[in-house]
Amino acid sequence: MTPAGFSTPLIHRQWLTGTVVELHFQCPDGFRFEPGQRLRICHDALERDYSLASAPGDPELRLVVRVFPGGRVSTYLSRVEIGQPISFYGPMGYFVYRESPRTAVFVATGTGVAPFLSMCRMGVSGFICLHGAKDRAGLLYAAEFEKQAARYVPCLSRGADAGSRDFAGRVTDYLGGSLAPGDYDFYLCGHQEMIRDAFQIIDERFEQAHVHSEVFY
Amino acid sequence: MMKIYTGSGDRGKTSLFSGERIVKSDLRIEAYGDVDELNSVLGGLIAGLPDSLRPLAGDLMKIQCDLLDIGAWLATTPESSAVEMLVPFTPKKVAWIEAAIDRLDEPLPPLQGFILPGGHPAAAGSHIARTVCRRVERHVLRIKDDHRDVSASSLLTYLNRLSDYLFVLARYCNLKTGTAETLWETVREKDTSA
Repeated sequence: MTPAGFSTPLIHRQWLTGTVVELHFQCPDGFRFEPGQRLRICHDALERDYSLASAPGDPELRLVVRVFPGGRVSTYLSRVEIGQPISFYGPMGYFVYRESPRTAVFVATGTGVAPFLSMCRMGVSGFICLHGAKDRAGLLYAAEFEKQAARYVPCLSRGADAGSRDFAGRVTDYLGGSLAPGDYDFYLCGHQEMIRDAFQIIDERFEQAHVHSEVFY
Repeated sequence: MMKIYTGSGDRGKTSLFSGERIVKSDLRIEAYGDVDELNSVLGGLIAGLPDSLRPLAGDLMKIQCDLLDIGAWLATTPESSAVEMLVPFTPKKVAWIEAAIDRLDEPLPPLQGFILPGGHPAAAGSHIARTVCRRVERHVLRIKDDHRDVSASSLLTYLNRLSDYLFVLARYCNLKTGTAETLWETVREKDTSA
């Protein structure tokens, strides 16, 4: 299906951290997507892809955007006025949830949570979720994942508080030493280094696994 | 924002569209690698078409799109739910290519014998594409037989017809550019009499 072009107004903005903002847009008539797919924002001759965090059928499209210093599109999105339209193409991508007899393992870091949020909001449940952040404050949407997951594992690279059930280390540390052998479908979404390291571990420890990935800058 | 490379294939493995991690020497990778090669050869052919053959570009690009669909089928194991995301490869596609063959074949003189692959650069490019297409066909046949992949059957029919199309295309390119076809027997006789 050829991605179509749309224009739709921003209706809500909420800062989640000092650098991450959640944006709500009105879902344009005729726009359909599957959980895990992206849309391509067009601004000032630039195009950037963002995964949708909302579920199909929601009246609003939701994006989770990290605002980079000097990032022209992310800065624009963080400042666009309520009611002003943005232009985008979509939907795009194949990072979608696929039914299978294997256990799904969602591995998310940073704003890589967005496609998994869309899947959860669509009703996907029973998965293992490895959620990586520097500290607890960086675990975006933890409650939603905890509610839907069979097992939710916060992986905190700066270490876990004494007595907490959080895992002290990166998601890749958990994959490499703590995830029990099993028959898994891995879904990886995050920055390039995490994806690369996760693939290496999966190739070594889970040879029969299926792997789907979406990589961010 | 998405990044184009992950480094996940640096150690000789890659992921199928259906998610399995396999070595890059796997038959499926060879097969869709050949499809990629065929598509690139067609891209070169289209890029070099002279004005008199430019109207062929539309059909050739449609074939390029079909080849991307074939690559996706070859990258998907038949028992995977990812099959539902693929474009169905229906007999309609074969019917379309048969009609295209008939259109190209209509003005051609009957074959007088084996012809040497070559002539106009567009014809030579068509012959190269045809031979790559035959290699794709051989790999897909092995996937069908070795992996018991029934979806490969519909691809095989299309690929067999595409090879025929590319042969006729080569002859058509020579005809429309006023380039003579070289008969094998003619050159061989000259060679043996020398």
